Amino acid sequence: MPLRNTAENYGSLAKLLHWSIVILIIVQYFIAEAADELPDGLEKLQILSRHKSVGMLLLMLAVVRILWKLANKGQPVPVGTGALKKAAAAGHGLLYLLLLLQPISGWAMSSAANYPVAFFGWFQFPALVGTHPGLHEILEDVHEVLFYVLVAVAVLHILAALYHHFAMKDDVLKRMLPLGKRTG
Amino acid sequence: MNTSPLRLIALPLLAAAATAATAATAAPAATVWVTDAASSKLTFVATQAGGEFEGRFARFTPAIVFDPADLAHSRFNVDIATAAAETGEHDRDNILKGKDFFAVERWPQARFETRVFRVTGPASYEATGKLTLRDVTREVRLPFTFKRGADGKSAVLAGTTTVRRLDFGVGQGEWIDTQWVGNDVRIHFELNLKQAPP
Repeated sequence: MPLRNTAENYGSLAKLLHWSIVILIIVQYFIAEAADELPDGLEKLQILSRHKSVGMLLLMLAVVRILWKLANKGQPVPVGTGALKKAAAAGHGLLYLLLLLQPISGWAMSSAANYPVAFFGWFQFPALVGTHPGLHEILEDVHEVLFYVLVAVAVLHILAALYHHFAMKDDVLKRMLPLGKRTG
Repeated sequence: MNTSPLRLIALPLLAAAATAATAATAAPAATVWVTDAASSKLTFVATQAGGEFEGRFARFTPAIVFDPADLAHSRFNVDIATAAAETGEHDRDNILKGKDFFAVERWPQARFETRVFRVTGPASYEATGKLTLRDVTREVRLPFTFKRGADGKSAVLAGTTTVRRLDFGVGQGEWIDTQWVGNDVRIHFELNLKQAPP
């Protein structure tokens, strides 16, 4: 499987990014839920800092994913026509936007509470906004709502892929499967 | 009984001379400074989960007597209200004020006091004093600068030192862990001083 995308198939890098992001978002949800259950203490600090590190990793992966998409302009070739094609493009645009906004809102939420955002204890990101308890509360809600929006759009994304596969019987789903090969 | 006129005059003279001598010793005594609370600050930088954050003490009372030309009579006494520790987030503030960290209900005051100063450079000095946090008192070296304003009646006293929180028992129980909450805490202060009226 080539690294770069081709006209018919996603390359290995695009697939790796796509599926890493999927898995890490699921991991993030469970980390956040686990932290929610805990009283304020060391364990919560540990779990939340992992959530932040993974979140910043997701942000970096999303940026690379978007840059890689731009570097592979027009490949694989979009399918469909008219309104559906436009809807697919808009849906993907929204997904990319959410992949950026979700970690950024978390980052800003931490900054507003004067919580440092570090990357697995390796280095620290600068504060995105100044310390502001009121803003922290708002961003906490934003971070949560954005997650539900992301889930909703991702569900549409999955349904669209399944529709392509089972109803339209094309290769759109297969071309992003981890080991999927174009079959004709 | 000796009641010679000479003695009657001499006694008050001696007394006056003694008073003058005391005054002469006191006269060059180090300047008393008044701290402008609104523009002065006492902050700390601590580490959690590999990242630094800054906090501050919103209330502290420095009594500063300092004169670079009279270090022998200089002294700092700083009372710090531990309950006024602020980190910008109330959950963390509560942990900090709670029994495992400052335990503000038991020990509402932290204190730094020193009378020992030495010159380390132009306008820079080092104080060796005692810092009391919770019920632990330890020697702390405090490098600082002292810069007089142009009028000579104001000055800025600023310095930074690093203490290890666990030396003072700040972080009990699970918080002894230094991987997630660093042991080193950098303390910084900047005091805007005005000369006290004589």
